[in-house]
Amino acid sequence: MRLILTALATLLSHYKRHPGQLAMLLLGLWVAGALWSGVQAINASARDSYARAEALFTTGLDRLERRDGEPLEREDFVTLRRAGLPVSPLIEGRVVASTGERLTVVGIDPLTLPGDSAFATAGSGGELTAFFTPPWQTRVAPDTAPRLGLERQAAPGAEPVLADGRQLPPLAIAPSLPPDTLVVDIAVAARLLERGSALSRLVTAPDALETPPKGYRLSRAESLVDPGELTESFHLNLTAMALLALIVGLFIVQAALGLALEQRLGLLRTLRALGVPGRTLVALLALELALLGVIGALAGITSGVWLARVLLPDVAATLQSLYGAAVGTQLRLPWHYWLGGLGVTLGGLFVAGSGMLWRAARLGVLGLGQAQAWRAGFQRQLRGQVLAGTLAAAVALAVWSWLATRPAGEGLVAGFVLIAALMLACALWLSPLLAAGLAGLGGLARHHPLTQWALADLQLQLPRLSLAMMALLIALSANLGVGSMVGGFRLTFLDWLDQRLTADLYLRPPAEQFDAVQAWLEERDEVAALLPTANAETTLLEVRAGGDGRRLEVPVSLFGITPGARLTPTWPLLATRAGRDAAWTALEEGDAFINEQLALGQGIGPGDRLVLSAPGGRQPVTVAAVYPDYGNPRGEVLFASATLRERFAAAPGSLGIVLAASAPSGEHETEARSTALSQALTERFALDSQALIDQREVKALSTEIFERTFAITRALNALTLAVAALALLASLLAQARERRRRLAPLWALGVTRARLANIQLGQLGGAALVTGLAAIPLGIAITACLVAVINVAAFGWRLPLHVFPGEMALTLATALGVALLAAILPVLKLWRTPPRTLLAEEEAT
Amino acid sequence: MLEFRQVHKAYATPQGPLEVLAGADLTLANGESLALMGESGSGKSTLLHLAAGLDLPDRGEVRVGGEVVSSLAEADRAKLRRETLGLVFQQFHLVPSLTVCDNLRLQARLAGRERPDWTAELIERLGLAGLEKRYPEQLSGGQQQRLAIGRALAPRPALLLADEPTGNLDEGSADDVLALLLTLVRDTGCALLVVTHSPRVAAPLDRRLNLTHGQLTPLATGQDACA
Repeated sequence: MRLILTALATLLSHYKRHPGQLAMLLLGLWVAGALWSGVQAINASARDSYARAEALFTTGLDRLERRDGEPLEREDFVTLRRAGLPVSPLIEGRVVASTGERLTVVGIDPLTLPGDSAFATAGSGGELTAFFTPPWQTRVAPDTAPRLGLERQAAPGAEPVLADGRQLPPLAIAPSLPPDTLVVDIAVAARLLERGSALSRLVTAPDALETPPKGYRLSRAESLVDPGELTESFHLNLTAMALLALIVGLFIVQAALGLALEQRLGLLRTLRALGVPGRTLVALLALELALLGVIGALAGITSGVWLARVLLPDVAATLQSLYGAAVGTQLRLPWHYWLGGLGVTLGGLFVAGSGMLWRAARLGVLGLGQAQAWRAGFQRQLRGQVLAGTLAAAVALAVWSWLATRPAGEGLVAGFVLIAALMLACALWLSPLLAAGLAGLGGLARHHPLTQWALADLQLQLPRLSLAMMALLIALSANLGVGSMVGGFRLTFLDWLDQRLTADLYLRPPAEQFDAVQAWLEERDEVAALLPTANAETTLLEVRAGGDGRRLEVPVSLFGITPGARLTPTWPLLATRAGRDAAWTALEEGDAFINEQLALGQGIGPGDRLVLSAPGGRQPVTVAAVYPDYGNPRGEVLFASATLRERFAAAPGSLGIVLAASAPSGEHETEARSTALSQALTERFALDSQALIDQREVKALSTEIFERTFAITRALNALTLAVAALALLASLLAQARERRRRLAPLWALGVTRARLANIQLGQLGGAALVTGLAAIPLGIAITACLVAVINVAAFGWRLPLHVFPGEMALTLATALGVALLAAILPVLKLWRTPPRTLLAEEEAT
Repeated sequence: MLEFRQVHKAYATPQGPLEVLAGADLTLANGESLALMGESGSGKSTLLHLAAGLDLPDRGEVRVGGEVVSSLAEADRAKLRRETLGLVFQQFHLVPSLTVCDNLRLQARLAGRERPDWTAELIERLGLAGLEKRYPEQLSGGQQQRLAIGRALAPRPALLLADEPTGNLDEGSADDVLALLLTLVRDTGCALLVVTHSPRVAAPLDRRLNLTHGQLTPLATGQDACA
């Protein structure tokens, strides 16, 4: 034991003398662990929200709908219960809390609700009686209390007031409920939501009914959209980015460990010579790794949880806008999250440190202490890297070939494998490329001794710099790739918004006033045209392509638009049966368009026939075209509004108002007319002043949602790049002293310190420039992979590939900036070191 | 204490095997001191490494304290070095991250034989008093070598192996260090094997052997192996 403690203390004493190395090691672990744990905390919290939503009744129960498409009424429930069927009614709607937060209200009948739902198992019989008898109860998850303007502790028994002044029944806390959801008795919900006798749903326990009752359609739980499944690809994307950050962080760790071992070779030799067995030394190095790992991982996990708290609101907004999935903004972390975070960080550390342990185990005691031998092995390492890089490139090629044979929208994991293999190949080839370039340039610079020396010296630095350069390449290319994808997405999205938002103003009147408002607006002189929309929900029952028919049970949205001169010329179409004009004519005549998500998800194309459930029975329609529909998580079928209202009894949606042109039609005039129209509408129909929205407001709102959607992507990317910069800085700092020793003889030979500092900056700037140049084609390849494979599989839509020269220039500038920033500290130190000290350091070696 | 019996050792070279020890025989009794001399590349350091169990012979036997070193497992050879041997190197091989005091106590601690009074005496006798908190790089060459000798003697080993212990020092420092080494060896009663090419170092030792062509031959007092 004394042997072990003494040897361990001796090994660790190295860090006392080299605290920078210890800081670099812990920094790598901390950053890697923080980003990984942060994203995993976000994923765990989101999954917890999905699980709670699913455990309630939103997706885990079979659902009944009327075959005639009419809304469900209390009478349907009574009739079915009298027939002995185990159905239960649900009312769902939204209310606005006094804090301005929109919350979901779910009204249930606790006595008929299937017994294994989270709600039914949440309380005892006594609590149940309190739930459905006056003064009733409002059950909420603890994280919903702040949304109602209450402290968590003060929530039980409180009776919060809604924005419209109505009071909720006393609150009762039920941790298993989903976030932002108020669960009340069905009678309370009907009153709060002013639903009268209308029901939102009738549900039964899964498979409780073998066949649907006459006049009803049965949707099985498994065919309904589960937010957990829907958002899986989003979480996979986040995990991939976190993994990237983890790997970049572990690059720092590996560089630090390699350096710490190299500098301790002499110490290892001495300890072996003094009688510490080789195996004990390797075990002690592993123990040292574990000790550092636990410290770094705990710091990383703590910071990760903080990071998750900061990012979660944006992620929740993203998930809501992309998938309509409700995610709480409070972290809820299961016990396995903490263990998982520790395990991944420690596992990563041991992978990063395995090389060090392996080398330490193989070192012969007589050959120890020779750093030069270590460097001599670099040539062998370069050959290995070329081979491994070629292997990774072969894997990328094989995956790409396989993906080319698959239908669009498949191969999410393969897409990530393709990107990872490409990155790995390029990262592995970088050092051999730099080494070959330096050797070539060295030959050319024979007549410039200082340049020749600088090139040769950079070759000597490569073994230690290569890992940091690889990390920089990966971070830069990921940044460029994701940045170009997001930039391309923004461009496409804004174009798409311009093409679709063609009216000047948008009005969403209440359904009962819709026709009256429309008629009134048609009479107004300042209104040139009206573009009413309509919407409904239904089920896609069958797809017929050629002679084949496929039976389906897919819920789809129906959306109605008003084709016309203002809309059809700009509305983008991805594929048509017989050209754009024919497609629009077909739509006006009763055919349908489908969105890209539905086309890719179900393999439907123009010319195919769909059978949809409608109030009058099955409605066959022909697909005339496919259109892009960015940001919509669901499949959608588009009709002319008139057709949709007639055939599917669709509810009216919004009214697009095209204002009559008046010269000069400036922005101020449009605004003035819009204000006047808004006032007239408010006075005439007692509409909410916010019912009329300017087109620019819609665009601004959509753009804001878009920006929030990619907030976490940008944050993770920036952090990864920062980690890579730290890796480079840490590598440079770690070898700064040795560098100064190498520069001392040059100073003695008459080279000024200013020149020496410039040489250092030039060396690193050059290497970073090559790395930046290599990152550009790799970044473009990553963008191509993201838009053609990953986005299609993850979101259901394809984006055009955009390449931004500005992003490329920024990548090069970032590479140079990061390198120069990292070099500035060691250079400053060199600048400030008195020349005599330089030589003293040289003599001390 | 130390015995070599018909020890053979060869190294692979591009020109074929190079035999540095060809049936070497050697005996070193308890408390005896022996100088091993020879030209550069003659195999002196190899012999020392074999004695320390840092390397193994191709043939023949190396015994330390009666134990056949080549029959010991790696961990047992490490134990032998830890508890029985003291090693002094030409390059000192001090631990740069430990203070003078911690360096001095290192091997004694590893062997579980630390004696504070002996450590304190060593510091005094080595002339390192007042320098305990310094790091090796803050010492002169002579001080570093004295510290290395102290580290080797701190656990009171039965056999001290020294490889060119004054090779890195100027003449004055070398004489001081050698005198100190011999005094301490005599006081602790351990056997001493010194590898050197310096007749000045070899002269005060009990016996001198010359290593040429892989064989050990005795040298008379005053005879210079390198002459």
